[in-house]
Amino acid sequence: MTKDGVVLAVEKRVTSPLLEPSSVEKIMEIDEHVGCAMSGLIADARTLVEHARVETQNHRFSYGEPMTVESTTQAICDLALRFGEGDEESMSRPFGVSLLIAGHDENGPSLYYTDPSGTFWQCNAKAIGSGSEGADSSLQDQYNKELTIAEAETIALSILKQVMEEKVTPNNVDIAKVSPSYHLYTPAEVEAVIARL
Amino acid sequence: GKSREAKERKAHFIASVPQHPHADDAMIPNLSALENHFGAAAAGSDDLGALFSADAADQLALEFPTCNDFDGFQKATKEMVNNKKGTTTLSFIFDKGVIVAADSRASMGGYISSQTVRKIIEINPYMLGTMAGGAADCQFWHRNLGVKCRLHELANKRRISIAGSSKTLANILYSYRGMGLSIGTMIAGFDETGPGLYYVDSEGARLKGSRFSVGSGSLYAYGILDEGYKFNMSVEEAAELARRAIYHATFRDGASGGCVSVYYVGPDGWKKLSGDDVGELHYHYYPVQAAPVEQEMAEAPSAST
Repeated sequence: MTKDGVVLAVEKRVTSPLLEPSSVEKIMEIDEHVGCAMSGLIADARTLVEHARVETQNHRFSYGEPMTVESTTQAICDLALRFGEGDEESMSRPFGVSLLIAGHDENGPSLYYTDPSGTFWQCNAKAIGSGSEGADSSLQDQYNKELTIAEAETIALSILKQVMEEKVTPNNVDIAKVSPSYHLYTPAEVEAVIARL
Repeated sequence: GKSREAKERKAHFIASVPQHPHADDAMIPNLSALENHFGAAAAGSDDLGALFSADAADQLALEFPTCNDFDGFQKATKEMVNNKKGTTTLSFIFDKGVIVAADSRASMGGYISSQTVRKIIEINPYMLGTMAGGAADCQFWHRNLGVKCRLHELANKRRISIAGSSKTLANILYSYRGMGLSIGTMIAGFDETGPGLYYVDSEGARLKGSRFSVGSGSLYAYGILDEGYKFNMSVEEAAELARRAIYHATFRDGASGGCVSVYYVGPDGWKKLSGDDVGELHYHYYPVQAAPVEQEMAEAPSAST
Protein backbone atom coordinates (compact mmCIF):
# COMPACT_ATOMS: atom_id res chain seq x y z
CA MET A 1 0.00 0.00 0.00
CA THR A 2 1.29 3.44 -0.86
CA LYS A 3 0.06 6.98 -0.25
CA ASP A 4 -1.32 7.09 -3.79
CA GLY A 5 -2.90 3.67 -3.95
CA VAL A 6 -2.51 -0.07 -3.52
CA VAL A 7 -0.72 -2.51 -5.80
CA LEU A 8 -1.69 -6.20 -6.11
CA ALA A 9 0.41 -8.79 -7.87
CA VAL A 10 -0.30 -12.51 -8.33
CA GLU A 11 1.44 -15.50 -9.79
CA LYS A 12 -0.97 -17.11 -12.19
CA ARG A 13 0.47 -20.64 -11.76
CA VAL A 14 -0.10 -21.71 -15.38
CA THR A 15 0.35 -25.45 -15.01
CA SER A 16 0.51 -26.38 -18.68
CA PRO A 17 1.54 -24.65 -21.91
CA LEU A 18 -1.85 -25.71 -23.27
CA LEU A 19 -3.66 -23.66 -20.63
CA GLU A 20 -4.97 -20.29 -21.84
CA PRO A 21 -3.27 -17.77 -19.50
CA SER A 22 -5.94 -15.10 -19.89
CA SER A 23 -8.55 -17.47 -18.46
CA VAL A 24 -6.72 -17.67 -15.14
CA GLU A 25 -8.26 -14.79 -13.24
CA LYS A 26 -6.81 -14.35 -9.78
CA ILE A 27 -7.40 -10.62 -9.43
CA MET A 28 -10.96 -9.43 -9.83
CA GLU A 29 -12.73 -6.12 -9.69
CA ILE A 30 -15.37 -5.81 -6.99
CA ASP A 31 -16.33 -2.22 -7.67
CA GLU A 32 -14.73 0.77 -9.28
CA HIS A 33 -12.76 1.50 -6.14
CA VAL A 34 -12.13 -2.02 -4.78
CA GLY A 35 -10.32 -5.01 -6.20
CA CYS A 36 -9.21 -8.30 -4.75
CA ALA A 37 -6.55 -10.93 -5.21
CA MET A 38 -7.20 -14.53 -4.23
CA SER A 39 -5.30 -17.61 -3.13
CA GLY A 40 -6.76 -21.07 -2.52
CA LEU A 41 -9.89 -22.60 -4.00
CA ILE A 42 -10.57 -20.10 -6.75
CA ALA A 43 -14.17 -21.25 -7.25
CA ASP A 44 -14.94 -20.41 -3.62
CA ALA A 45 -13.39 -17.01 -4.17
CA ARG A 46 -15.69 -16.33 -7.10
CA THR A 47 -18.72 -16.80 -4.84
CA LEU A 48 -17.26 -14.35 -2.33
CA VAL A 49 -16.44 -11.81 -5.04
CA GLU A 50 -19.92 -12.09 -6.54
CA HIS A 51 -21.43 -11.50 -3.11
CA ALA A 52 -19.17 -8.49 -2.58
CA ARG A 53 -20.15 -7.07 -5.95
CA VAL A 54 -23.84 -7.32 -5.13
CA GLU A 55 -23.28 -5.79 -1.68
CA THR A 56 -21.32 -2.83 -3.06
CA GLN A 57 -23.95 -2.13 -5.70
CA ASN A 58 -26.75 -2.38 -3.13
CA HIS A 59 -24.87 0.08 -0.96
CA ARG A 60 -24.54 2.49 -3.87
CA PHE A 61 -28.23 2.07 -4.59
CA SER A 62 -29.36 2.56 -1.01
CA TYR A 63 -27.00 5.31 0.07
CA GLY A 64 -25.82 6.93 -3.14
CA GLU A 65 -22.14 6.56 -2.21
CA PRO A 66 -19.40 3.97 -2.69
CA MET A 67 -19.10 1.39 0.10
CA THR A 68 -16.03 1.75 2.30
CA VAL A 69 -13.35 -0.87 1.85
CA GLU A 70 -13.71 -2.04 5.44
CA SER A 71 -17.47 -2.54 5.05
CA THR A 72 -16.88 -4.46 1.84
CA THR A 73 -14.36 -6.68 3.63
CA GLN A 74 -16.76 -7.12 6.53
CA ALA A 75 -19.52 -8.19 4.10
CA ILE A 76 -17.22 -10.80 2.58
CA CYS A 77 -16.17 -12.10 5.98
CA ASP A 78 -19.79 -12.33 7.15
CA LEU A 79 -20.42 -14.69 4.29
CA ALA A 80 -17.26 -16.68 5.00
CA LEU A 81 -18.32 -17.08 8.65
CA ARG A 82 -21.68 -18.57 7.80
CA PHE A 83 -20.31 -20.79 5.04
CA GLY A 84 -22.73 -19.12 2.65
CA GLU A 85 -26.13 -17.53 2.75
CA GLY A 86 -29.56 -18.93 3.42
CA ASP A 87 -30.70 -22.48 4.06
CA GLU A 88 -30.26 -23.84 0.57
CA GLU A 89 -27.19 -21.99 -0.57
CA SER A 90 -25.03 -22.43 2.49
CA MET A 91 -22.13 -24.84 2.22
CA SER A 92 -21.21 -27.56 4.65
CA ARG A 93 -17.58 -26.47 4.71
CA PRO A 94 -15.69 -23.18 5.05
CA PHE A 95 -14.71 -21.19 1.98
CA GLY A 96 -11.20 -22.42 1.25
CA VAL A 97 -9.71 -19.12 0.13
CA SER A 98 -7.73 -16.15 1.43
CA LEU A 99 -8.28 -12.76 -0.13
CA LEU A 100 -6.33 -9.55 -0.33
CA ILE A 101 -8.83 -6.74 -0.70
CA ALA A 102 -7.38 -3.50 -2.01
CA GLY A 103 -9.39 -0.34 -2.24
CA HIS A 104 -9.62 3.40 -2.00
CA ASP A 105 -12.31 5.26 -0.10
CA GLU A 106 -12.80 8.46 1.89
CA ASN A 107 -10.11 7.27 4.33
CA GLY A 108 -7.56 6.90 1.55
CA PRO A 109 -6.02 3.68 0.21
CA SER A 110 -6.31 0.50 2.30
CA LEU A 111 -5.46 -3.18 2.14
CA TYR A 112 -7.20 -5.98 4.01
CA TYR A 113 -6.33 -9.63 4.35
CA THR A 114 -9.07 -12.23 4.98
CA ASP A 115 -8.84 -15.93 5.72
CA PRO A 116 -11.32 -18.84 5.76
CA SER A 117 -12.20 -18.24 9.39
CA GLY A 118 -13.86 -14.99 8.44
CA THR A 119 -11.33 -12.83 10.27
CA PHE A 120 -9.81 -9.86 8.55
CA TRP A 121 -6.78 -7.73 9.26
CA GLN A 122 -5.76 -4.41 7.79
CA CYS A 123 -2.22 -4.45 6.47
CA ASN A 124 0.25 -2.15 4.81
CA ALA A 125 1.71 -5.04 2.87
CA LYS A 126 0.94 -8.76 2.79
CA ALA A 127 1.72 -11.89 0.86
CA ILE A 128 -0.59 -14.90 0.69
CA GLY A 129 -0.31 -18.31 -0.90
CA SER A 130 2.27 -21.02 -1.11
CA GLY A 131 5.40 -18.88 -1.07
CA SER A 132 3.96 -16.42 1.39
CA GLU A 133 6.33 -16.89 4.32
CA GLY A 134 9.42 -16.00 2.32
CA ALA A 135 7.54 -13.27 0.51
CA ASP A 136 6.22 -11.77 3.76
CA SER A 137 9.69 -11.47 5.28
CA SER A 138 11.02 -9.88 2.08
CA LEU A 139 8.12 -7.44 2.22
CA GLN A 140 9.00 -6.56 5.80
CA ASP A 141 12.52 -5.67 4.70
CA GLN A 142 11.62 -3.73 1.59
CA TYR A 143 8.37 -1.99 2.48
CA ASN A 144 8.20 1.56 3.75
CA LYS A 145 5.37 4.06 3.86
CA GLU A 146 6.94 6.52 1.45
CA LEU A 147 6.86 4.24 -1.59
CA THR A 148 5.46 5.46 -4.89
CA ILE A 149 3.22 3.29 -7.04
CA ALA A 150 6.07 2.57 -9.44
CA GLU A 151 8.37 1.48 -6.60
CA ALA A 152 5.60 -0.67 -5.15
CA GLU A 153 5.12 -2.37 -8.52
CA THR A 154 8.80 -3.16 -8.77
CA ILE A 155 9.02 -4.49 -5.21
CA ALA A 156 5.88 -6.63 -5.64
CA LEU A 157 7.14 -8.15 -8.85
CA SER A 158 10.67 -8.71 -7.59
CA ILE A 159 9.36 -10.57 -4.55
CA LEU A 160 7.11 -12.66 -6.80
CA LYS A 161 10.14 -13.45 -8.91
CA GLN A 162 11.99 -14.69 -5.81
CA VAL A 163 9.27 -17.17 -4.88
CA MET A 164 8.26 -18.22 -8.38
CA GLU A 165 9.93 -21.18 -10.01
CA GLU A 166 9.40 -20.01 -13.59
CA LYS A 167 10.66 -16.87 -15.17
CA VAL A 168 8.35 -13.84 -14.80
CA THR A 169 6.51 -13.05 -18.04
CA PRO A 170 3.30 -11.08 -18.75
CA ASN A 171 1.58 -14.44 -19.24
CA ASN A 172 2.19 -15.86 -15.80
CA VAL A 173 1.71 -12.83 -13.54
CA ASP A 174 -1.10 -10.36 -13.09
CA ILE A 175 -0.78 -6.89 -11.62
CA ALA A 176 -3.53 -4.51 -10.63
CA LYS A 177 -3.68 -1.24 -8.79
CA VAL A 178 -6.36 0.80 -7.09
CA SER A 179 -5.26 4.44 -7.26
CA PRO A 180 -7.93 5.68 -6.77
CA SER A 181 -9.85 3.43 -9.16
CA TYR A 182 -9.27 -0.20 -10.01
CA HIS A 183 -7.13 -0.97 -13.03
CA LEU A 184 -5.90 -4.36 -14.21
CA TYR A 185 -2.61 -4.04 -16.07
CA THR A 186 -2.50 -4.95 -19.73
CA PRO A 187 0.26 -7.36 -20.82
CA ALA A 188 2.15 -4.36 -22.21
CA GLU A 189 2.06 -2.58 -18.85
CA VAL A 190 3.19 -5.75 -17.05
CA GLU A 191 6.04 -6.01 -19.55
CA ALA A 192 7.06 -2.44 -18.69
CA VAL A 193 7.30 -3.31 -14.98
CA ILE A 194 9.26 -6.49 -15.72
CA ALA A 195 11.70 -4.42 -17.73
CA ARG A 196 12.43 -2.31 -14.64
CA LEU A 197 13.32 -5.31 -12.45
CA GLY B 1 -31.18 -18.49 15.23
CA LYS B 2 -29.23 -19.14 12.09
CA SER B 3 -32.24 -19.69 9.84
CA ARG B 4 -33.97 -16.50 10.95
CA GLU B 5 -30.81 -14.56 10.31
CA ALA B 6 -30.45 -16.34 7.04
CA LYS B 7 -33.98 -15.37 6.13
CA GLU B 8 -33.22 -11.78 7.08
CA ARG B 9 -30.16 -11.86 4.92
CA LYS B 10 -32.32 -13.18 2.15
CA ALA B 11 -34.05 -9.83 2.30
CA HIS B 12 -31.04 -8.85 0.33
CA PHE B 13 -32.00 -6.02 -1.87
CA ILE B 14 -31.72 -7.82 -5.17
CA ALA B 15 -33.53 -10.88 -3.89
CA SER B 16 -36.13 -8.88 -2.07
CA VAL B 17 -37.07 -6.50 -4.87
CA PRO B 18 -40.51 -8.02 -4.64
CA GLN B 19 -40.50 -10.59 -7.37
CA HIS B 20 -43.94 -11.26 -8.68
CA PRO B 21 -44.87 -14.84 -7.68
CA HIS B 22 -44.79 -15.84 -11.31
CA ALA B 23 -41.69 -13.90 -12.29
CA ASP B 24 -39.44 -16.96 -12.30
CA ASP B 25 -41.60 -18.71 -14.87
CA ALA B 26 -40.85 -16.16 -17.52
CA MET B 27 -42.37 -18.20 -20.30
CA ILE B 28 -45.61 -19.05 -18.48
CA PRO B 29 -48.25 -16.35 -18.98
CA ASN B 30 -49.36 -14.54 -15.88
CA LEU B 31 -52.94 -15.69 -15.31
CA SER B 32 -53.35 -14.44 -11.76
CA ALA B 33 -55.76 -11.78 -12.93
CA LEU B 34 -58.20 -14.48 -14.02
CA GLU B 35 -58.42 -16.03 -10.55
CA ASN B 36 -61.59 -15.07 -8.78
CA HIS B 37 -60.13 -13.88 -5.49
CA PHE B 38 -63.43 -12.85 -4.02
CA GLY B 39 -65.00 -16.25 -4.50
CA ALA B 40 -62.07 -17.91 -2.75
CA ALA B 41 -62.19 -15.42 0.11
CA ALA B 42 -65.89 -15.92 0.69
CA ALA B 43 -65.64 -19.70 0.68
CA GLY B 44 -62.58 -20.20 2.85
CA SER B 45 -62.70 -17.62 5.61
CA ASP B 46 -63.89 -19.51 8.66
CA ASP B 47 -63.00 -16.86 11.23
CA LEU B 48 -64.98 -14.25 9.31
CA GLY B 49 -67.92 -16.64 9.26
CA ALA B 50 -67.60 -17.10 13.00
CA LEU B 51 -67.43 -13.36 13.44
CA PHE B 52 -70.72 -12.74 11.75
CA SER B 53 -72.67 -15.87 12.60
CA ALA B 54 -72.02 -17.86 15.74
CA ASP B 55 -73.86 -21.05 14.76
CA ALA B 56 -73.27 -21.49 10.99
CA ALA B 57 -69.54 -22.07 10.64
CA ASP B 58 -69.66 -22.91 6.94
CA GLN B 59 -72.48 -20.58 5.96
CA LEU B 60 -71.63 -16.91 6.00
CA ALA B 61 -74.31 -14.54 7.25
CA LEU B 62 -72.72 -11.78 5.22
CA GLU B 63 -72.64 -12.29 1.48
CA PHE B 64 -69.37 -11.21 -0.04
CA PRO B 65 -69.93 -9.60 -3.42
CA THR B 66 -68.52 -11.89 -6.06
CA CYS B 67 -66.76 -10.09 -8.81
CA ASN B 68 -67.83 -11.08 -12.29
CA ASP B 69 -65.51 -8.74 -14.06
CA PHE B 70 -62.27 -8.88 -12.14
CA ASP B 71 -60.30 -7.28 -14.96
CA GLY B 72 -62.65 -4.33 -14.97
CA PHE B 73 -62.44 -4.03 -11.21
CA GLN B 74 -58.68 -4.10 -11.33
CA LYS B 75 -58.67 -1.48 -14.08
CA ALA B 76 -60.98 0.76 -12.08
CA THR B 77 -58.69 0.50 -9.07
CA LYS B 78 -55.73 1.50 -11.19
CA GLU B 79 -57.67 4.35 -12.75
CA MET B 80 -58.26 5.74 -9.29
CA VAL B 81 -54.54 6.45 -8.97
CA ASN B 82 -54.05 7.12 -12.65
CA ASN B 83 -50.90 9.04 -13.40
CA LYS B 84 -51.63 10.58 -16.74
CA LYS B 85 -47.99 10.98 -17.74
CA GLY B 86 -48.16 14.77 -17.79
CA THR B 87 -44.86 15.58 -19.33
CA THR B 88 -43.01 15.88 -22.59
CA THR B 89 -39.93 13.84 -23.29
CA LEU B 90 -38.38 13.01 -26.60
CA SER B 91 -35.41 11.21 -28.01
CA PHE B 92 -34.08 10.52 -31.49
CA ILE B 93 -31.13 8.88 -33.20
CA PHE B 94 -29.14 10.75 -35.80
CA ASP B 95 -25.86 10.13 -37.54
CA LYS B 96 -23.71 11.38 -34.65
CA GLY B 97 -25.52 9.63 -31.80
CA VAL B 98 -28.69 10.15 -29.75
CA ILE B 99 -30.35 13.29 -28.46
CA VAL B 100 -32.53 13.10 -25.35
CA ALA B 101 -34.63 16.04 -24.21
CA ALA B 102 -37.33 16.64 -21.62
CA ASP B 103 -39.26 19.34 -19.82
CA SER B 104 -39.19 19.69 -16.03
CA ARG B 105 -42.72 20.18 -14.80
CA ALA B 106 -44.47 17.92 -12.30
CA SER B 107 -48.21 18.34 -11.87
CA MET B 108 -50.70 16.95 -9.40
CA GLY B 109 -53.98 17.48 -11.22
CA GLY B 110 -54.15 21.20 -11.79
CA TYR B 111 -51.45 22.02 -9.26
CA ILE B 112 -47.91 22.44 -10.51
CA SER B 113 -45.91 20.70 -7.84
CA SER B 114 -42.50 21.41 -9.31
CA GLN B 115 -40.88 23.21 -12.22
CA THR B 116 -37.45 21.72 -11.62
CA VAL B 117 -37.84 17.97 -11.95
CA ARG B 118 -34.94 16.07 -13.46
CA LYS B 119 -36.71 13.88 -15.96
CA ILE B 120 -33.61 12.58 -17.65
CA ILE B 121 -32.14 9.91 -15.42
CA GLU B 122 -28.48 8.99 -15.74
CA ILE B 123 -28.42 5.21 -15.51
CA ASN B 124 -24.69 5.03 -16.15
CA PRO B 125 -22.13 7.15 -18.02
CA TYR B 126 -23.29 5.96 -21.43
CA MET B 127 -27.01 5.35 -20.89
CA LEU B 128 -29.91 7.66 -20.14
CA GLY B 129 -33.52 7.02 -19.26
CA THR B 130 -36.43 9.43 -19.44
CA MET B 131 -39.18 9.84 -16.91
CA ALA B 132 -42.86 9.94 -17.73
CA GLY B 133 -45.65 8.75 -15.49
CA GLY B 134 -45.03 8.13 -11.81
CA ALA B 135 -41.86 9.93 -10.77
CA ALA B 136 -41.07 7.51 -7.96
CA ASP B 137 -41.65 4.50 -10.19
CA CYS B 138 -39.36 5.87 -12.90
CA GLN B 139 -36.60 6.92 -10.54
CA PHE B 140 -36.56 3.69 -8.55
CA TRP B 141 -36.66 1.34 -11.50
CA HIS B 142 -34.05 3.28 -13.43
CA ARG B 143 -31.69 3.17 -10.45
CA ASN B 144 -32.44 -0.51 -10.06
CA LEU B 145 -31.65 -0.97 -13.75
CA GLY B 146 -28.36 0.85 -13.11
CA VAL B 147 -27.46 -1.70 -10.44
CA LYS B 148 -28.25 -4.61 -12.75
CA CYS B 149 -26.27 -3.07 -15.62
CA ARG B 150 -23.25 -2.59 -13.37
CA LEU B 151 -23.41 -6.17 -12.10
CA HIS B 152 -23.63 -7.36 -15.69
CA GLU B 153 -20.56 -5.31 -16.52
CA LEU B 154 -18.58 -6.77 -13.63
CA ALA B 155 -19.58 -10.34 -14.37
CA ASN B 156 -19.09 -10.16 -18.13
CA LYS B 157 -16.22 -7.67 -18.28
CA ARG B 158 -18.00 -5.63 -20.93
CA ARG B 159 -20.74 -3.07 -20.94
CA ILE B 160 -24.32 -4.21 -21.33
CA SER B 161 -25.91 -3.33 -24.65
CA ILE B 162 -28.83 -0.92 -24.86
CA ALA B 163 -30.96 -3.77 -26.21
CA GLY B 164 -30.00 -5.88 -23.21
CA SER B 165 -30.67 -3.25 -20.59
CA SER B 166 -34.00 -2.21 -22.10
CA LYS B 167 -35.00 -5.87 -22.21
CA THR B 168 -34.04 -6.27 -18.54
CA LEU B 169 -36.25 -3.33 -17.62
CA ALA B 170 -39.11 -4.47 -19.86
CA ASN B 171 -39.08 -7.94 -18.31
CA ILE B 172 -39.20 -6.49 -14.81
CA LEU B 173 -42.05 -4.14 -15.71
CA TYR B 174 -43.97 -6.96 -17.36
CA SER B 175 -43.83 -8.98 -14.18
CA TYR B 176 -45.52 -6.08 -12.37
CA ARG B 177 -48.13 -5.65 -15.07
CA GLY B 178 -51.55 -4.76 -13.73
CA MET B 179 -50.21 -3.70 -10.33
CA GLY B 180 -50.40 0.00 -10.95
CA LEU B 181 -46.86 0.96 -11.98
CA SER B 182 -46.92 3.96 -14.29
CA ILE B 183 -43.76 4.24 -16.36
CA GLY B 184 -43.29 5.48 -19.92
CA THR B 185 -39.60 5.61 -20.49
CA MET B 186 -37.07 5.70 -23.26
CA ILE B 187 -33.73 4.00 -22.76
CA ALA B 188 -31.17 5.78 -24.91
CA GLY B 189 -27.48 5.13 -25.17
CA PHE B 190 -24.44 4.20 -27.14
CA ASP B 191 -23.01 0.69 -27.21
CA GLU B 192 -20.73 -1.44 -29.40
CA THR B 193 -23.31 -1.60 -32.17
CA GLY B 194 -23.77 2.17 -32.20
CA PRO B 195 -26.58 4.39 -30.92
CA GLY B 196 -29.61 2.65 -29.41
CA LEU B 197 -33.08 3.85 -28.49
CA TYR B 198 -35.87 1.80 -26.99
CA TYR B 199 -39.29 2.78 -25.67
CA VAL B 200 -40.32 0.75 -22.60
CA ASP B 201 -43.53 1.15 -20.65
CA SER B 202 -45.30 -0.22 -17.62
CA GLU B 203 -47.71 -2.22 -19.77
CA GLY B 204 -44.71 -4.30 -20.78
CA ALA B 205 -44.17 -2.87 -24.27
CA ARG B 206 -40.67 -2.53 -25.62
CA LEU B 207 -40.18 -0.88 -29.00
CA LYS B 208 -36.99 -0.21 -30.88
CA GLY B 209 -37.06 2.97 -32.88
CA SER B 210 -35.20 6.02 -34.03
CA ARG B 211 -37.67 8.76 -32.93
CA PHE B 212 -39.87 8.72 -29.87
CA SER B 213 -41.76 11.24 -27.80
CA VAL B 214 -43.57 10.28 -24.62
CA GLY B 215 -46.04 12.18 -22.46
CA SER B 216 -49.06 14.42 -22.69
CA GLY B 217 -47.11 16.95 -24.74
CA SER B 218 -45.74 14.36 -27.11
CA LEU B 219 -48.26 15.17 -29.84
CA TYR B 220 -47.00 18.73 -30.09
CA ALA B 221 -43.39 17.66 -29.86
CA TYR B 222 -43.85 15.11 -32.64
CA GLY B 223 -45.17 17.86 -34.91
CA ILE B 224 -41.95 19.86 -34.64
CA LEU B 225 -39.67 16.82 -34.43
CA ASP B 226 -41.03 14.98 -37.45
CA GLU B 227 -41.03 18.13 -39.56
CA GLY B 228 -37.48 19.17 -38.79
CA TYR B 229 -35.80 15.76 -38.55
CA LYS B 230 -32.94 14.76 -40.85
CA PHE B 231 -30.62 11.85 -40.23
CA ASN B 232 -27.55 13.89 -41.08
CA MET B 233 -27.32 16.80 -38.66
CA SER B 234 -24.68 18.38 -36.53
CA VAL B 235 -24.96 17.94 -32.78
CA GLU B 236 -25.91 21.59 -32.46
CA GLU B 237 -28.67 21.35 -35.07
CA ALA B 238 -30.06 18.21 -33.47
CA ALA B 239 -30.03 19.82 -30.03
CA GLU B 240 -31.80 22.88 -31.34
CA LEU B 241 -34.47 20.70 -32.97
CA ALA B 242 -35.06 18.88 -29.68
CA ARG B 243 -35.14 22.13 -27.75
CA ARG B 244 -37.69 23.68 -30.12
CA ALA B 245 -39.86 20.58 -30.05
CA ILE B 246 -40.03 20.51 -26.26
CA TYR B 247 -40.58 24.26 -26.13
CA HIS B 248 -43.56 24.04 -28.46
CA ALA B 249 -45.00 21.20 -26.41
CA THR B 250 -44.69 23.25 -23.22
CA PHE B 251 -46.36 26.15 -24.99
CA ARG B 252 -49.53 24.20 -25.71
CA ASP B 253 -49.62 21.48 -23.07
CA GLY B 254 -50.48 22.62 -19.55
CA ALA B 255 -48.83 19.65 -17.94
CA SER B 256 -45.42 20.45 -19.47
CA GLY B 257 -43.19 23.38 -18.66
CA GLY B 258 -40.30 24.54 -16.54
CA CYS B 259 -37.02 24.11 -18.37
CA VAL B 260 -35.91 22.12 -21.37
CA SER B 261 -32.92 19.86 -20.72
CA VAL B 262 -31.09 18.53 -23.75
CA TYR B 263 -28.56 15.70 -23.52
CA TYR B 264 -26.38 14.21 -26.23
CA VAL B 265 -25.16 10.60 -26.10
CA GLY B 266 -22.15 9.87 -28.24
CA PRO B 267 -19.48 7.18 -28.41
CA ASP B 268 -17.83 8.62 -25.28
CA GLY B 269 -21.02 8.69 -23.23
CA TRP B 270 -23.63 11.29 -22.46
CA LYS B 271 -23.16 15.00 -22.05
CA LYS B 272 -25.71 17.57 -20.92
CA LEU B 273 -25.86 20.22 -23.60
CA SER B 274 -28.28 22.77 -22.22
CA GLY B 275 -31.00 23.58 -19.74
CA ASP B 276 -33.14 26.54 -20.77
CA ASP B 277 -36.18 28.05 -19.12
CA VAL B 278 -39.14 27.84 -21.51
CA GLY B 279 -40.26 31.36 -20.71
CA GLU B 280 -36.93 32.69 -21.87
CA LEU B 281 -37.01 30.40 -24.88
CA HIS B 282 -40.37 31.83 -25.85
CA TYR B 283 -39.01 35.33 -26.12
CA HIS B 284 -35.91 33.99 -27.82
CA TYR B 285 -38.01 32.41 -30.57
CA TYR B 286 -40.67 35.09 -30.65
CA PRO B 287 -39.09 38.36 -29.56
CA VAL B 288 -41.50 41.14 -28.64
CA GLN B 289 -42.13 43.28 -31.70
CA ALA B 290 -42.30 46.94 -30.87
CA ALA B 291 -45.85 47.85 -31.92
CA PRO B 292 -46.01 50.92 -34.16
CA VAL B 293 -47.16 53.83 -32.03
CA GLU B 294 -50.27 55.49 -33.41
CA GLN B 295 -50.80 58.26 -31.00
CA GLU B 296 -48.24 59.40 -28.58
CA MET B 297 -49.16 61.36 -25.54
CA ALA B 298 -47.44 64.72 -25.55
CA GLU B 299 -45.48 65.67 -22.48
CA ALA B 300 -47.92 67.33 -20.11
CA PRO B 301 -46.74 70.78 -19.24
CA SER B 302 -45.41 70.62 -15.73
CA ALA B 303 -47.38 72.60 -13.25
CA SER B 304 -45.36 75.42 -11.92
CA THR B 305 -46.06 77.34 -8.89
